[in-house]
Amino acid sequence: MNLTFTGKTVLVTGANCGIGLALAPLLIEEGLFPILCSRHSKGKETIGAGLSPWAGRYGTAFFDLACPEQMGEIFADHPEIHYLVDMAQGDYETLVASADPGRLARYMAENVAARAELVRLASRTMVRHRFGRMIFLSSAAAGCPGKGQGLYGASKLAAEGLYRSAGLELGSRGITAMGLRPGYVASGRGERFIEQQGQALVKKMPGGCFISADEVARALVFFLSDTARNFNGVAITMDGGFTSGK
Amino acid sequence: MDNFKRVRHTLAEILDLDEGEILPESYLVRELDAESIDLLEVALALSTEFGIEVRDDEIFLKNLRILIADAGENGVDPVVAIVENLPHIQEKRAGEMVADLADGPVLQVRDLVAYVGHCCQ
Repeated sequence: MNLTFTGKTVLVTGANCGIGLALAPLLIEEGLFPILCSRHSKGKETIGAGLSPWAGRYGTAFFDLACPEQMGEIFADHPEIHYLVDMAQGDYETLVASADPGRLARYMAENVAARAELVRLASRTMVRHRFGRMIFLSSAAAGCPGKGQGLYGASKLAAEGLYRSAGLELGSRGITAMGLRPGYVASGRGERFIEQQGQALVKKMPGGCFISADEVARALVFFLSDTARNFNGVAITMDGGFTSGK
Repeated sequence: MDNFKRVRHTLAEILDLDEGEILPESYLVRELDAESIDLLEVALALSTEFGIEVRDDEIFLKNLRILIADAGENGVDPVVAIVENLPHIQEKRAGEMVADLADGPVLQVRDLVAYVGHCCQ
C-alpha cells in the first residue's frame, strides 16, 4: 500500500530519542520535511550524527516543555507546519506519595500545561491551512501504570485528553489528532527498564518480544498518512497484547 | 478600504455569506450563526489582515457575563466595568450590551471593527 500525505512539514518534539531517530528517515523517504526538536545542544548533536545521510532534508529547532514561552518562535519560524508528532516527555519516576512537591508541580506544569500551549499553537497554525494531523506519543502506562509511574501515567492521560479535544473541536477544519500508546519499547528509558527486569518481563509479552523503536516509528508514519485520518480523538494501544489480559 | 469593509470581507469568506448580508449591527452568533471554530478562524484571519495580535477573549467579549456579574457583586456600575476592562468598547455601546444581554450573545460586527481599530491606533 502506498501511503499519501496531504501536508509536507512535520514538527517532531523530543526527536533525539530512539523512536525519533528511527522516524525521521521514514518521513524523509515519504517526501516529508521533518523539523526535529530537542531541548539541548547534545540532542541536536545526536540528531546530526544519526541523520548524517539525510543532511539538508530536515530541519532542527529548540523545544523544551520547561520553556513554553519560547514555543511560539517555532511556529513563527515555520508557519507551514502540517503535522505534529509530540514525543517530548519529562523523566520522573516515583511513588506519588514520595514525590518532591516542587518537582511534582514542575513535572505536571511541563508535561500537561506546557503541552496544552503546544497543542494551542499547533492548532492555530493548522487552522490557517485548514489541514493538520497531530499524534501524541502516549504510553500504555496512561491506562495501566506501573508502581512509580503515577505522575508519568497521569500526565500522559491528561495530554491524551488535550489531543482528543483538538481532534473533536477542529475536525471540521480538516485537523485530526490521536494518541499512540506503546508498551515496552526497547529504546531509551524503556530499554533501561527492560534490562533491569530481564527475562521475567519478556515472558509476560504475549508475542515473546518487546517493541522496537522502528516498529513504533513505522506505526507513526501510517497514522500520519491520509489513510489513517479517521483515527481521530482516540488513543490506540500498541503493546503486543501486554495489557490485554491478566 | 475602511476597517468595516475589511472585517466584513473576512467574515463573508469564513462564514460563507454574501457581504451584503453583513451589517455593522449584525449579531455574529445570533444572526450570522458563527460557531466557536468560526470565531477562531476570524481571529486568526483578522490578525493577519490587520497585522495585530488578536486576543480571542477580548475581541469576542468572552468574559463579558463574568465581568458584569463581578461588577454587580462589588457594587460597580457594569458599564464602567466594561469600559475599563475592554477599552475598545465605548460607554454608549457598553450600555447597549448590558440592556441586550438577556436576549443572548451581544457581539456585533461593529464590536470587531472597534477592536481592530483600537489595536491599530
